[in-house]
Amino acid sequence: MNSNRRVLVFVVYSTAFLLLVSVIAEIYHLQWPGFNRVNLIADIIRKDTLIVSDTSDKSLPAPEMADKPHEEFSLYKKGHFITDFSIDTSKPSLKGFVQKLHELKNGKKRKVRIAYFGDSMIEGDLLTQTLRKLLQVTFGGTGVGFVPITSPISKFRQTVSDDYSDGWEDENFKSGNNNRLFISGHLFRTSGAWVQMVDQTAVDKADTIEKSLLCGYIRKPVKIAVNDHPVIINAAEAFNRIIINNTTGTGIKLSVADAQLPVYGISFESSSGIFVDNFSFRGITGIEFARLDSSFLESVKKNNPYDLVIFQYGVNMLYRPNDKNFSWYARAMLPVIRKFRNCFNESDFLLISTADRAFRYEGEYKSAIGIDSLIKVQAALAFETNSGFYNQFETMGGRNSIVDWATRNPSLANKDYVHPNHRGAEILGNYFFDAIMNEYKKYVVSLK
Amino acid sequence: MPSFDIQAFFQQFLYDPKNPLLFNNGFFVFFFAVFIALYYRFRNNYKIRRYIFCFFSLYFFYKASDKFVVLVILSAIVDYYLSNTIYRAEDKTTKKGLLVLSIIYNLGLLVYFKYTNFFIATVNDAFHAGFNPLNVLLPVGISFYTFENISYTVDVYRGHFVPVRKFTDYLLFLSFFPKLVMGPIVRANDFIPQINKPYNISETDFAKGFYLIISGLFKKLVISDYITLNFVNYIFDDPSRYTGMENLFAVYGYAVVIYCDFSGYSDMAIGIARWLGFRIPVNFLSPYQSNDISVFWRRWHISLSSWLKDYLYIPLGGNRKTTWVAYFFTGLFFAALLIGSAHLLNLSMWGGLAICLSVALLFYLPSLIKKDDKIVPANLNLMTTMLLGGLWHGAKWNFIAWGAMHGIALVIHKLWMTLTGKAFGQINNKWWYNALAVFITFHFVCFCWIFFHADNFTIASNMIHQITHDFSFSVWGAFFDNYKPVLLLMLLAALLHAIPDNYADRIIERFPKIPMVAYLTLFFAFVLLYGTFKTAEPVLPIYLKF
Repeated sequence: MNSNRRVLVFVVYSTAFLLLVSVIAEIYHLQWPGFNRVNLIADIIRKDTLIVSDTSDKSLPAPEMADKPHEEFSLYKKGHFITDFSIDTSKPSLKGFVQKLHELKNGKKRKVRIAYFGDSMIEGDLLTQTLRKLLQVTFGGTGVGFVPITSPISKFRQTVSDDYSDGWEDENFKSGNNNRLFISGHLFRTSGAWVQMVDQTAVDKADTIEKSLLCGYIRKPVKIAVNDHPVIINAAEAFNRIIINNTTGTGIKLSVADAQLPVYGISFESSSGIFVDNFSFRGITGIEFARLDSSFLESVKKNNPYDLVIFQYGVNMLYRPNDKNFSWYARAMLPVIRKFRNCFNESDFLLISTADRAFRYEGEYKSAIGIDSLIKVQAALAFETNSGFYNQFETMGGRNSIVDWATRNPSLANKDYVHPNHRGAEILGNYFFDAIMNEYKKYVVSLK
Repeated sequence: MPSFDIQAFFQQFLYDPKNPLLFNNGFFVFFFAVFIALYYRFRNNYKIRRYIFCFFSLYFFYKASDKFVVLVILSAIVDYYLSNTIYRAEDKTTKKGLLVLSIIYNLGLLVYFKYTNFFIATVNDAFHAGFNPLNVLLPVGISFYTFENISYTVDVYRGHFVPVRKFTDYLLFLSFFPKLVMGPIVRANDFIPQINKPYNISETDFAKGFYLIISGLFKKLVISDYITLNFVNYIFDDPSRYTGMENLFAVYGYAVVIYCDFSGYSDMAIGIARWLGFRIPVNFLSPYQSNDISVFWRRWHISLSSWLKDYLYIPLGGNRKTTWVAYFFTGLFFAALLIGSAHLLNLSMWGGLAICLSVALLFYLPSLIKKDDKIVPANLNLMTTMLLGGLWHGAKWNFIAWGAMHGIALVIHKLWMTLTGKAFGQINNKWWYNALAVFITFHFVCFCWIFFHADNFTIASNMIHQITHDFSFSVWGAFFDNYKPVLLLMLLAALLHAIPDNYADRIIERFPKIPMVAYLTLFFAFVLLYGTFKTAEPVLPIYLKF
């Protein structure tokens, strides 16, 4: 018996039925997500309304402008631009910082230091390595800055090569025991382990590089080994910066025998110039810094001062596709920034918004629908705390730019639609450097 | 009130680069319905039926790849003409000349479209030359129909069959839409005799066709797409961000994905063909059940491996002799091995030479043991076949490395059989030996997939580094919680794979005639399942590394 008719019958029936259901669903606006994606006529139907395009959270008012008549909040929307919300955009933002850059440029011997706090977006020194390189080429300085003792992604980081023995205990924001953490969010202890690091950023091998041990308080002097030679150090303050080697070499080996000593990391800096410390901590939003106490931060300010403090967070607030309300974040983050501002009272502060991040909505990757309201919250935080603001989202291209970056060939971002890769991060680093230089140039012009 | 968008309606009929035609497009449903109605109506008029078939196939191709449809037509004209001329030519030299012309034409097109950018990039890297890349786009399906063209003219030349007299027969053989985009590679002597035959299918054909189409769709659209988007892509993008556990499972995940993708597509093509009265041989036979690497290649992408055997390995000399071609490619391989061990593995010159010597020894040892000097040429031919077979998959060094690894594995397997053939005669049939062999073979294949899928060697080596240096069972709980649906689908795929290949046939045999309602219900259940998976809330990566 020939069953060829059955093929015809099956195809005609199933097509007709699928079509019928599709038409009914369109006419009666049946919203059943499981069927929306297989609707046969969805592409040829003109919808009455488009999906809401403005997703900014209307319930969140712009911050109070009354007491700041010379400021304009909406400047936060501008990409490639560091704003201090001043209506007069010909004046430089981050004035104290660019002034110090100018001193460096004019040959003054001094250190200018940036603390760049962030999440996985700057992990492995991404973005900051580009920024550091460009700044050091322009304003001088050699050295990669702060390097934590161990890191799960140390192999991924290109600017430092390291090796370490077992036996380092890592206390951090995510572990249970963590009351004397550094601003990196980590603290390492060991009785007998070693670590070896080589700064890979040094271009001029003739430069002398200070290698400093950054560590916490210990009651009595303690013996460590630097390049296998024993050294006695005295770490009597809440935070200590102790130069343990000052040679032209780019590498250092450190062994610690006393687990009482809270070890934070090693810093590589030449005696003068600009330095960028990368403080990346995966998965955090910045509110974790609430647990660092003011006296400790003041000790950091005294012994390892920063001229510019940057916070770049946001992507970890966007962990659910449909979140739109981030006022909780404003409430939690405001005291953190205020505390840092009070302790680092001579530093400029800059908040960098989240970059673009996409989720799959009905099978298609699009920017998180809450991203506009999150950025508004972040800008409001900057506005309230008199910090500068830099809109990373607009700078990288705005809505859906991460989708474009991830699907380009070669790609600029990972397929998680969150993280720019090293190519993308280099672009962001260049953009950010250009934005700093714009402010610097405004300052130079203002002197004339 | 929604309204009918007439412009969008007409737009549907044109090629859309963002949405090329595939079996899972809504457009394909209409396409196939209209096609089957016409095909059925004219089933007894072979000529009109053939024209309809050609038209729909070419239209499908246009919807899948725009202007490149011209290439298929052009190839059909050239090869139709050349094969007939070869057949009519009196003397051997003319025949040979025409065959060479045909091969140059076909491979020339393939090389131009597929490998130009690769060659330019390689030359630029090696000699720091600044040639501009041409950015040639790859026409869909060209790797498949080029091979079909070549095997056709070679078979005509060898006198295996008489070339077709009707051009549309040849055009249909080449452009037959079910297999056009992703194979299987069809042989003319299998296929062409089926073109002008009565449209006769049995109830078993209908049932099996249905089973193949639905299971193929399920493998491709549900299992493979879901695992790719929600897991494998994350990890392969940047392995150093993830733990060894996540990396290892990403490799397993990719093994599932590549199998479900490839075999799913083949199954759909074979199933649709079966509904239209065409038999296309099976292309995948549960390859991960193989207990050695040569069995794997007899079960994996069978239409490709048998093509490579018949039209590359045997012309190279097969098991008996070898030619300069094999020496040339093996020479290139050793050169690449030497350079690669210096640049990728950071070995010294001597280290590289030691590796080359050990591989050369692998090639030579069996002939020393068996005192059979034909084994060395056979090994060289095998290596050449696998290298070129690797390159066929794509214009990247990774694919060549993948082919090379499989080539070496086949050589090692041969050596192993020579060494243990008699000694292991007792345990060869033991279940534990077999299980161990399947385990090792599967893991070797997985290891090679890392290179197949990773964007470059750095990613591949990072992945291997994570698996070997950063592996901890302590993350299992968090890993399982986050990726539960992905892991369950992988498990389901593994179970489906473990079912014997003839199981579906045995089930179908048991039911003489299943009512149409049952088929329709099953189909709709699948459609809804597919829709649900497509809109399922995405699984997001977690970062277990701390």
